[in-house]
Amino acid sequence: MKEKILEVNNLSVSFKTYNGLVRAVRGVDFTLHKGETLAIVGESGSGKSVTTKAILGILQKNAVIESGEILYNGEDLTKYSEKDFYKIRGKEISLIFQDPLSALNPIMKIGKQITEALILKEKMSHDAAKKRALELMEMVGITNPEVRYEQYPFQFSGGMRQRIVIAIALASNAKIMICDEPTTALDVTIQAKILDEIRHIKETQHLSVIFITHDLGVVANMADRICVMYAGRIVEVGTSEEIFYHPAHPYTWALLSSMPDLETKERLFSIPGTPPNMIYPPKGDAFAERNQYALAIDFEEEPPFFKLSDTHYAATWLLHPSAPKVEMPKVLADRIARMQRKEHI
Amino acid sequence: MKFYEDQKESYDALPKEKFVLVQREERLHDTEFKTKPIGFFKDVMLRFTKNKASVCAAVIILIISFFAIFGPGMNEYRYDEQHTDRINMPPKIPAIAKLNIGLFDGGYLLENRNYDNLSDPSRYPEGSVLEIRNPRLVNGQRTVDVWVDYYKYSGMADDECYWFGSDYLGRDIWTRMWRGARISLTIAIVSVLCNVTIGIIYGSISGYYGGAVDMLMMRITEIINAFPRIVIVTLFIMVAGTGMFSIIMSLVIKDWVSTARMVRSQFYRFKGREYVLAARTLGVKDMALIFRHILPNSIGPVITSAMIAIPTAIFAESFLAYIGLGLQAPEPSIGVMLSQGQKVLLHYPSQVVFPAIIISLLMISFNLFGNGLRDAFDPTLRGTE
Amino acid sequence: MFRYILSRIVAMAITLFIIVSIAFMVVRLMPGSVYEMGGDLSQTVIDALNAKYHFDEPIIKQYGYFLQNIFLHWDWGTSAKMRPNVPVFEILRDRIPVTLELNLVSLFAALPIGILAGIIAAIRKNTIADHLVSLMVVLFISIPSFVFAAALQYFLGFKAGLFPIIYNVSATGLLKWQSMFMPILALMFDPIARVARYLRAELAETMNSEFMLLAKTKGLTYGQSTVRHGLRNSMVPLMNVIIPMFANVLGGSLVVENIFSVPGMGGLMVDSINASDHMLTVAILVFYSLISLITVLVVDISYGIIDPRVRMGGKK
Repeated sequence: MKEKILEVNNLSVSFKTYNGLVRAVRGVDFTLHKGETLAIVGESGSGKSVTTKAILGILQKNAVIESGEILYNGEDLTKYSEKDFYKIRGKEISLIFQDPLSALNPIMKIGKQITEALILKEKMSHDAAKKRALELMEMVGITNPEVRYEQYPFQFSGGMRQRIVIAIALASNAKIMICDEPTTALDVTIQAKILDEIRHIKETQHLSVIFITHDLGVVANMADRICVMYAGRIVEVGTSEEIFYHPAHPYTWALLSSMPDLETKERLFSIPGTPPNMIYPPKGDAFAERNQYALAIDFEEEPPFFKLSDTHYAATWLLHPSAPKVEMPKVLADRIARMQRKEHI
Repeated sequence: MKFYEDQKESYDALPKEKFVLVQREERLHDTEFKTKPIGFFKDVMLRFTKNKASVCAAVIILIISFFAIFGPGMNEYRYDEQHTDRINMPPKIPAIAKLNIGLFDGGYLLENRNYDNLSDPSRYPEGSVLEIRNPRLVNGQRTVDVWVDYYKYSGMADDECYWFGSDYLGRDIWTRMWRGARISLTIAIVSVLCNVTIGIIYGSISGYYGGAVDMLMMRITEIINAFPRIVIVTLFIMVAGTGMFSIIMSLVIKDWVSTARMVRSQFYRFKGREYVLAARTLGVKDMALIFRHILPNSIGPVITSAMIAIPTAIFAESFLAYIGLGLQAPEPSIGVMLSQGQKVLLHYPSQVVFPAIIISLLMISFNLFGNGLRDAFDPTLRGTE
Repeated sequence: MFRYILSRIVAMAITLFIIVSIAFMVVRLMPGSVYEMGGDLSQTVIDALNAKYHFDEPIIKQYGYFLQNIFLHWDWGTSAKMRPNVPVFEILRDRIPVTLELNLVSLFAALPIGILAGIIAAIRKNTIADHLVSLMVVLFISIPSFVFAAALQYFLGFKAGLFPIIYNVSATGLLKWQSMFMPILALMFDPIARVARYLRAELAETMNSEFMLLAKTKGLTYGQSTVRHGLRNSMVPLMNVIIPMFANVLGGSLVVENIFSVPGMGGLMVDSINASDHMLTVAILVFYSLISLITVLVVDISYGIIDPRVRMGGKK
């Protein structure tokens, strides 16, 4: 068993709003091992970003952590004060944002944005910090770093800015890097490059990565393990192969079916309905309303996690011994078969 | 996290009949949006009424408007009626004077009076002395300041009173003030209405047709904008005279430009939208496109900026009065009264206090009202001002 | 960048010329000759005066003389009523420094207060402090400067006797500032409110921006990120809000100078209008136009200097 670096146990986060308490995250558990890439996949509003923000202590002011713990180095981050977090942020855990266009300060030179944390926190000299910044810029694939160092964000393309954001995240030798949809705002052609970059840096810097996305396609080549989230809960967790080739939860099926590939001839599957209103989370399985394979019990009681292998768990009553035998949709089965064939060639 | 293995017994004990597929045959579809749609203006009203400050402001505006309409007729004085024998009377309202709280009692402070004369009824008529203050000896003479009921002191009949006092020509301030408020409000509202009308038409044409028309029209607004407001207004009034109409026009001459620019930018935002193209391909005429499809989008910002323009216009009117370009006497306006009262401020502060309170209340209320409307029309701007 | 500034200056000069022309025409075309209303002057004297100042010639010719005098001799004409036979420019020369001093001092004194209030409101958003600042903003923006001036004059000046009721022309040093205090204060309310309102909105928006979050995740403390990113970014455009405010303050000072009898441009303008001293009025209007055009020019140029996006764009 690999060494655990971060452990999230039964985390619940709610937001106080005018309309009531929005239960964004309702009891999430996962573990991040050293050197692995864990992907958290789910549609918007499933609580994946909130979870990571809780890890860094950057939740909005109206958020409350209702229960649970986030263990890092044996310490519970949910108990941390703003002051304690300064020691963690950047140095231990860093974050890459969804939108590099707005993540950089528009009127501060790129170089200064990379070095400021080094100078202020690590008490580096300006020269040393600059040297480190130039190294970092080179590392994330920025040509001509000496020139770029003196430029402003508006002189950079979107992909270049994301590289800078990555460089900033790497500056203080963080051990965990959280990537919150790092490629969503970028052109498709740039996406692949940035993903390669992240994968490459992860290998060379021995980082552990939490990768958040709504796009299973992005995850396929990146992640070692995948958590699928829905309505503030994890519904299925497993290694990449297990999730892609042996998905067990109807929501994972739906997600995989709604992913286009070259061979898709029939109309692309879309999940009917909308996610539940998280002010009034449903009683049983949150996905039941939209689930073609819902059982009567789904509307009454929440399913527990059923173990499929040592690494693969899914929370659906379909795995209960009393449940009728249900096969995944044929479209999906065909697609998985195709994928597996390709893999073997 | 609950695991099946952890509580296998209890999970296994679940009744078998619950494990049936219940939606297998059903066609799942996106559910219809069930809540009733709320109209745009109803929604605005709902949001507006949630803002207590703005509702309060609206009530104050209504009250002031009520008095502006009916106030001048509430007592027997006319706004231009002069009584040279009763100039600069302090305010007196009999009902309040009876409460003895020192307000509206027609009180006036006579300083450095000879104490011995106080009992002389020819100098101080019966009941005119309300309070004796600060007794002292000056050159061996017992001297006091006397707080007198100035009405009784000057020998006026008991039922005669100026609620808010009278000015340097003996004109009733109450009547003049509400008439002044009426005039100030009229000037403000009419000028803002003109601004908005001209601005909407100009901005719509410029924004809708674009190209060379737009270039030319925007150049014109730029030139007008380059002129400082004080200079333009002063020059205009010097040419056109100090009538109500010319004051209104002087406020319109420059201020319509901002409305026009706002409407134009809204047109630029919306005229390229698909729904406008769709309407156009269906053969909708230019005028209908402008007024039915594009213009309604700018209604919120236009109303909001009009509301905020009203206090600006009220201020501008009183400002003009202050620099001697206000309405011709005897017509009152709040600005005229303030600038006249300013001259006697140290002796008769009440002549400034009442118009100052009214103009401040009006300005505050319209600003708050405008803020509330803006938040209601565009909730994303909330609190940013 | 240089071309840009040059084009702005040319545009400004043209506008100023148009304003001068219009002002001259308007003021001269007003009914009645300057020297008709006096009453105590004999007809021959009036005729002589009219001839001397070319008032008996057609308006276009008068305009020609007017421009010629300005450009050749920097002669803006002669005052007719207020201070007869004194060159207009000389009168202005005495008055302008007083007005500029009053306005600049009140504007610069207002800045730190407004900035502080805005910052407090933004970083303590939705607390009592924020609500107090909002209330202050509404009051200060709504209540006209002459109401504030009257209140100050009555309470601080007359009742409490802390400051002279009117401006003391002959005083120097501390006494002068004491007599300037109330006019300055009366003019400060509006800029305080405007700066506070602007900064509150701008800073609150900046504090919610993604790059503030990035600064936080970099590991900067709350104070460090607020100062280095939040404040820095929202202060940059502040200049462009403050400079146009100068024209605003100048308008308010018209009335406030009058109330406190400050011998500045404001009082002069009111008096010259009321006395129909036309040449003086034209010169005063030109002064106000010039100030307001300069503020616009400075804003246009400073946009270029402050914002790297515009600055760099201009270089290419």
